[in-house]
Amino acid sequence: MSVIDILTRVDVLCKKYEKYDLDKQWAGADSMSGNDQFLRLYTVVEADIEAAREKSQDAQSEKNRAVVATLNAEVRRSKAALKAEIPKLEKLAAKKVKDLSKEEMAARPDLVVALAQKIEDIPDGVTVGRPGGTWGRKASNPLEIKLDAMHPDDLMRPEHYEQTEESLALRQEYEMRRAKQDEGLDIIAAGLTTLKDMAGDINEELDKQMPLIDEVDTKVDRAAADLKNTNIRLKETLTKMRSNRNFCIDLILIVLILGIGGTLYTYSFSPFTPSYVCLQPLLMYQQVRSAHMMDGAKPLRRNRGLLFMSGWSSE
Amino acid sequence: MASDKASNSNPKVAEAEKLVKKADKLTKFSFTKWFPDWTAATPLYEQAANAFKLAKMPEAAKIAYEKAATGQERSSSPWSAGKHLESAGGLARELGNFDEVIDLYKRASELYVQCGKVQPAADALDKGARAVEDVKPDAAVRMYIDACALLEEDGRDQMAFDSYRSAASIYIKLNRYEDAATVFLRWGQAADKCKAVQSQCKAYLSAIIVYLFADNFNLADASYNDCSQMDSFFKSDQNHCAVQLLSAYREGRPDEIKHVVSTSSVIPHLDHMVIRLAKQLPSGKVTAIVDETGHNGLDEDDLR
Repeated sequence: MSVIDILTRVDVLCKKYEKYDLDKQWAGADSMSGNDQFLRLYTVVEADIEAAREKSQDAQSEKNRAVVATLNAEVRRSKAALKAEIPKLEKLAAKKVKDLSKEEMAARPDLVVALAQKIEDIPDGVTVGRPGGTWGRKASNPLEIKLDAMHPDDLMRPEHYEQTEESLALRQEYEMRRAKQDEGLDIIAAGLTTLKDMAGDINEELDKQMPLIDEVDTKVDRAAADLKNTNIRLKETLTKMRSNRNFCIDLILIVLILGIGGTLYTYSFSPFTPSYVCLQPLLMYQQVRSAHMMDGAKPLRRNRGLLFMSGWSSE
Repeated sequence: MASDKASNSNPKVAEAEKLVKKADKLTKFSFTKWFPDWTAATPLYEQAANAFKLAKMPEAAKIAYEKAATGQERSSSPWSAGKHLESAGGLARELGNFDEVIDLYKRASELYVQCGKVQPAADALDKGARAVEDVKPDAAVRMYIDACALLEEDGRDQMAFDSYRSAASIYIKLNRYEDAATVFLRWGQAADKCKAVQSQCKAYLSAIIVYLFADNFNLADASYNDCSQMDSFFKSDQNHCAVQLLSAYREGRPDEIKHVVSTSSVIPHLDHMVIRLAKQLPSGKVTAIVDETGHNGLDEDDLR
């Protein structure tokens, strides 16, 4: 195959797949759509303006101040970016583009100006420094605070520094209230120093008494331990001494001893007077009984009481 | 006799007297008794003393308490002995024998120290001093200072504050201002040891005020210089007040002094006797004190 053949084949192929060639497209776009460029930029800017306007609408209806602040900041940023686009648009508008009527050409700069005005009109929460712009819209604060808004001539006039009646009265009231506040503050200060002093003294007292309380603590602990020991020992001793079994045994033994003692004394006739006296009637009865055994049984019954009495009286 | 009347009205008193006689017999030396029987006699003496006290016979009660104390001492229980001596001291105060009061309380304190109980010893000295401070202030002051020394030796400085205060107040009453100021400075030192900053600063300011009241500016200034070396005093409100007072004195302006005293926030919180002194400042003539030692003899023209 010759070179010419290759060349023609390459041309045919390129033409076939022209649409896939990006570089050509871009070059074509640049040279071809001059007015499209303007229009495109114009539409882009308009779309951005609309977006910014929507954001500012949101900002106005929003209650949360922080959100309002961020939205306003974004609106301002987009406004600044759009303002930067305006000179580009102006340049493009001035460009001569073919296939465009003369009227349209004349209209383009006006369109650009209108667009610029639209950008300015987007509300972004800034109202200061807008001459003639504040009347037609809701101001964010009714009182405008203007710094350095005095005219220099005004400052030089001597009457500017004189005191009017109202300002005098205001100053007096201010002084009076300040004096009252000072008085109140003095009283508070005096109270506070007293409190501080008392608190310091309390602190020292507590420091003083801490070691005392520690001592008391140890002593009481020792005493409690001693008491506990003593109680246990006492309990042991008591159980040894006074358990029920031992008590009964003690009682029985005592009764036995008494009985034995009593019988011993009865049969020994010792000069132990109490038992002798107690047992005297018994003795008398025995004597009479033995005497009666010799005499007869009946008369004894009547006279037993008398005999008893006579027995006692003879003692 | 009074005791007879009392014994007529109160059979207990008669019993008490009997007890005393019995106890005396037990403790006296005699042919049959070579060793006095204190262990038996002491409870008798105590009972008798209580009975006398209830019957309001301080003389007999005091004697009985003293004897009981001797008995306890011999039985080597100095604690009870000390307690009895204190009671005897109280009764002696009622009777008005102030020398005896001092003696009894001192003995009680020594006995407590023997037991190793320092706090009651100091308390006994305090009580004794309080009992006699109207009549014998010198002895009272000495007792207070002894109590402070006792407590400081034992390391319980904080308990000494009350004794210091009483000692200083007696000195002020006696118009011995230098001594009072010395006591205040010692108080400050004790407070410093136990880190009681509030008391320390108050004590130093009191010392300065007392020196100024005594018209002794140099001593006041010197003590202020010493005290201001201490960090804790230097940072306090009391230091500020002291500076103001001393500068007013240096300039010799009585109205300024009065102004400082009346508007000060710390002076009303000092001890009341010091407040009284401060309100009377300036006492005596106040002249502007020329700082003679200021230039240290250096002259401008002396270029050698």
